[in-house]
Amino acid sequence: MFERFTKAARAVVKGAAEHAERGGATAVTQEHLLLALLDGEGTRATEALRALCPPDRRPSLVATLTDARRRAGLSRADEEALADLGIDVGAIVARVEETHGEGALAGDRKDSGRWSGRRPFSREAKGILEKSLRVALARKDREIGDEHILLALTTTGGVVAEALADHGVTYASVEAAVAGVPAP
Amino acid sequence: MTDATDLAARAGDRDPRVGLRAVSALRRLLEQLEAVQVRSARNQGWSWQEIAAELGVSRQAVHKKYGRQ
Repeated sequence: MFERFTKAARAVVKGAAEHAERGGATAVTQEHLLLALLDGEGTRATEALRALCPPDRRPSLVATLTDARRRAGLSRADEEALADLGIDVGAIVARVEETHGEGALAGDRKDSGRWSGRRPFSREAKGILEKSLRVALARKDREIGDEHILLALTTTGGVVAEALADHGVTYASVEAAVAGVPAP
Repeated sequence: MTDATDLAARAGDRDPRVGLRAVSALRRLLEQLEAVQVRSARNQGWSWQEIAAELGVSRQAVHKKYGRQ
């Protein structure tokens, strides 16, 4: 599959692994893929992102992701479903953080320095890469570019897709923005 | 709330998607909670055997999952 990835798409995969390593995460997640996309410049996906979510809104986007991670990586829809069962995620997070410190449920390793080396891609992150292939096929694009990774991220229904949608980045808006971007 | 919207809300409660999502969210929350508690127990000097006994799983299972930390 990777042989069909463009240079920009490969850079996102590599950048995501670097974000995971720097953040002390045990695996490369969807969030790391998005952070890597936000780093890029002059590619289809980054031009679309710039148009839809200008740099001054980036801190808010990143803060939304950080906040969700602190809440055990649960999306709003997850929390609403749990509230239906009478489970207050906010109360659980507050209680656990009271005892175990801020970000206790975020799942970051505190001893990241001790473990260097490559992180595996999480099942969900692998799913995004597979989805990007399907998105490219559906659009009849010959190669998998970083725009296909971004499009795949908008479809997952998890924290990342929710954060993106909150900032105006949806499958439809990315498709429109990509169409308006001249090929590099 | 009018009767119609009340009814709609009740019907929504029976939507399997909400129930299934709650299960998957609970699982995610459980995984993070377990990691927090195991780490905390290890920091307090608990053995893998003791942690496994409390969790109701085998020592091997808990060590395999968290041993590298």
